[in-house]
Amino acid sequence: MNPSLKFLLAVLIALEISFTNTWTVNLGLAVIGLLVILSSRPSLKRLVLLFFVPLIPAVALAVAILLQSNAGIHFALVLFTRIYAYVFVGSAATLTTSVADLVMSLEQNAHIPSKFAYGFLGAFNLLPKIVSEVNVIRAAGNMRGQALHIWSPQLYFKAILASLDWSENLAEAMTSHGFSEDAPRTYFKQIRIRWWDWLIVIGSLALLQVALFGLHLQ
Amino acid sequence: MKYSNAWHLRDIILLTLIAIFFGVIYWIIGPLYNVLTVALTPVGLGPGANDIVMGIWVMAGPLSGYVFKKVGSATLGEFLGSVVEMFLGGQWGASTMISGVVQGVASELGFTFTGYKRYDWFSLNLSVLTTTIVTFGWDMIRNGYSKYHIGLLIALFIIRLISTWIFSGVLVKAIVNLLDRTHLMQTQTR
Amino acid sequence: MATISVNHLSFSYPTEDGQKPLTLADISATFPNGGFSLLTGPSGSGKSTLMKIISGLYPKFGGLITAGEVRLNDTKISDIPETDRGQLVAMMFQNPNQQFAMDTVERELIFALENQCVAPADMMARVDRALDYVEISQLRHRQLNSLSGGEKQKVALAVIIAMQADTILLDEPFASVDPVARQLLLAKLSRLQHEEHKTIIISDHDLEDYDAYIDHLFVLNDTGDSLVLLNDKAAQQKMATFKRQDTSNQQLLLPKKTDEPIISANNLKLTAGTSTLLTQPKIDFFQHHITLLTGANGTGKSTLLLAISKLHQYNGSLLLNQKEIAKIRPNRLYQQVALVFQDADQQFLNVTVSEELALSLKNSQAPAYFKDRIPKFLEKLQLTQLQDQVVYTLSGGQKKKLQILEMLIMATPVLLFDEPFTGLDFSSLQAVMTIMKQVAKDCQQTMIIVSHQLFGLDALVDYHVTLENKQLQYVEGLA
Ligand SMILES: Nc1ncnc2c1ncn2[C@@H]1O[C@H](COP(=O)(O)OP(=O)(O)OP(=O)(O)O)[C@@H](O)[C@H]1O
Ligand SMILES: Nc1ncnc2c1ncn2[C@@H]1O[C@H](COP(=O)(O)OP(=O)(O)OP(=O)(O)O)[C@@H](O)[C@H]1O
Ligand SMILES: [Mg+2]
Ligand SMILES: [Mg+2]
Repeated sequence: MNPSLKFLLAVLIALEISFTNTWTVNLGLAVIGLLVILSSRPSLKRLVLLFFVPLIPAVALAVAILLQSNAGIHFALVLFTRIYAYVFVGSAATLTTSVADLVMSLEQNAHIPSKFAYGFLGAFNLLPKIVSEVNVIRAAGNMRGQALHIWSPQLYFKAILASLDWSENLAEAMTSHGFSEDAPRTYFKQIRIRWWDWLIVIGSLALLQVALFGLHLQ
Repeated sequence: MKYSNAWHLRDIILLTLIAIFFGVIYWIIGPLYNVLTVALTPVGLGPGANDIVMGIWVMAGPLSGYVFKKVGSATLGEFLGSVVEMFLGGQWGASTMISGVVQGVASELGFTFTGYKRYDWFSLNLSVLTTTIVTFGWDMIRNGYSKYHIGLLIALFIIRLISTWIFSGVLVKAIVNLLDRTHLMQTQTR
Repeated sequence: MATISVNHLSFSYPTEDGQKPLTLADISATFPNGGFSLLTGPSGSGKSTLMKIISGLYPKFGGLITAGEVRLNDTKISDIPETDRGQLVAMMFQNPNQQFAMDTVERELIFALENQCVAPADMMARVDRALDYVEISQLRHRQLNSLSGGEKQKVALAVIIAMQADTILLDEPFASVDPVARQLLLAKLSRLQHEEHKTIIISDHDLEDYDAYIDHLFVLNDTGDSLVLLNDKAAQQKMATFKRQDTSNQQLLLPKKTDEPIISANNLKLTAGTSTLLTQPKIDFFQHHITLLTGANGTGKSTLLLAISKLHQYNGSLLLNQKEIAKIRPNRLYQQVALVFQDADQQFLNVTVSEELALSLKNSQAPAYFKDRIPKFLEKLQLTQLQDQVVYTLSGGQKKKLQILEMLIMATPVLLFDEPFTGLDFSSLQAVMTIMKQVAKDCQQTMIIVSHQLFGLDALVDYHVTLENKQLQYVEGLA
């Protein structure tokens, strides 16, 4: 499926279920999400993580409703399933699409300016470096006898300085590789929107309305 | 110093990097949120963890607003951060991007109300206030806060306000003060 | 085919109070068409600045041309549309780490070709050819993040080749590259010059190895107001003074039986991503000694230092004073071990030079020793005048010196250095080594130094460990 439309669909679904209170629909969405995830053959570790990560907020919200409000078990169930629907639908999109493909689709199909697309992508690809940089910053603090905590301005200050430095290097390097804001480019990998992409988006949303409306009537 | 509203490649990379850095710091240093949530859940106050750490989550917004001084920078910073978080497999899945926009707009409003002219303690505090109000409104819907007893609701709101003030107000100001002394930003964000 | 002429060029990085100090002042030179030129000059003289002006990155990304111009053949650089520029000039940067926008080697090459509006059907042929030329076809599908510094620089060169740029600018491209990779890249560049008639300009501090390749040697002076082309004789002389001292027959001792181990590895295994870097049955590093660690690019020297600093995971056992490093809490560990990072910026925590020094002195383990000596050290390192300067605006060499000094002041029992001598000019290098030696002796420190450059190290180090074939081993020879 076209990456831009896939993400659009995921966000629209998330938005809609934020405002509706039908737990069976949430559950259904989570199951569909899970099926899509399974079709991408994730590692077992990933799968286990997927089940556990949402558990904490989901349980917390449900228990809070039971203990701290009069909304009752039905609403607790709604919140619980809602979180799982969010995560499984979201992961169904992220696990089946690479960031690079999404960015290329956004550039070619959604026509967002290429500077946003590749600026984001270039920064995103530095993620592993960013993780180690944060550890380095904290170690550098400790080595100088200064512990850096989550409330220490120096920690963020150093992160921003690294960002400044890296953004300059990367922007210059991309420019040197011929990238120019607003200039036309060719695409090695053409990403198209086909008729069935639209069909999936519109069809899914229509089905969702029917399900929500139908269950609401009962 | 005059600031233009145009976004250049360099700014976009910088904004994204800052957003990712803040996300990663949060992520490495504390599974703070999870620990707090697990501790508070048995008494039904689990969602309170969300309010306690809210300030850390939304820091990137006011910071980018303050650093870039452009229309939309707070929103964009927060939004890009959320996209990254979603790809990292965050706990809120597809709704992360929606929250990103909500939080971004929320902190942006503080600067909007001052016409993008004042970048000082006042506009920062205003941003703290708008952030708290708007994000709280969103949680009323998404996380069912609207169903809580009124006493709890007020308590959560106050906790969130304090958290946001400490992190997105006081801490952001301290960071910006350090940055201003280096004089590095001026040449960067033309 | 392009002649680059610099005509009465002046360039400034305006300060925030509106002043315009000139970094380059009224310099002129012609870089001949099809020639291989080497540009040298002291640290901070403006070499990088000049190269970025020639490649059109400045003033777009910073600074201001206050007078004069640079012409490519007869066109002003600023008049060349950005999209055409890639075919005329391309630049390779000193830092190999933030040069790529995409995730894999192949995609980066394609990205560059797309930017040039190459027809999609022609792209693969050009990618194949460029990778072949640099002999890195096997890296095609690798993640760029997982490549070593030398490999990244090869990829950077492949991109330039795929873009078919006429003029190739390289700004200290070998700073993080070992001698073997350096020779290989130089040979490739020379072939490009002779077979494809490219114009090549390269900047470097270290003139070693160049005499076989270059046609012209340009020298920029320390104040950035004179750029001269040396005649053959002067060039030969300058190169000769840079001949690496013959380190091949310098000998060191092997550790003695009586030496006290302080860091001990047992069945240590280091991996990065999918590759195994080290499998070490047993090795010790000895207390109160200075040990040099050498090895080719990407063999895992930095990774070993990171493991000792608890910044990289390891398998097996790595003991510091009989305690497992993985089990020592960070704040305790860093009172005993500190790492001098390869990138000086990573070390700084404050804003100005004097604040940095004050922080180190405050938390030092030998404050009394350093209190009186700091002024003398600053004098020797030529940093005395810079105390109010913001550390991030220091030149590369100045940063390096400050960083080493402030870490020495901490007087941590074990001090690890990752390539501390890169970017230092000759006199700075001497000063730094003298101070390191003195402090190590007076404060009874243990030091491990990773360095590619061996000049003068025989006077500083006691022992030499090489990392080769995934094994660490003490050796007697320095080279
Ligand atoms: N972005 C900048 N803003 C202000 N000053 C700068 C900037 N970049 C460089 N400078 C200053 O301009 C001078 C020349 O710097 P440049 O990087 O061109 O030197 P270099 O010859 O390449 O030095 P090195 O050999 O250390 O790389 C230095 O004094 C440096 O501090
Ligand atoms: N994710 C990964 N997958 C495979 N290999 C990796 C990965 N990450 C790093 N490596 C490899 O690990 C090695 C890291 O080496 P390290 O930086 O310790 O080398 P070094 O000896 O310090 O080299 P240099 O002299 O260039 O500084 C490199 O060869 C790199 O290619
Ligand atoms: Mg330079
Ligand atoms: Mg290294």
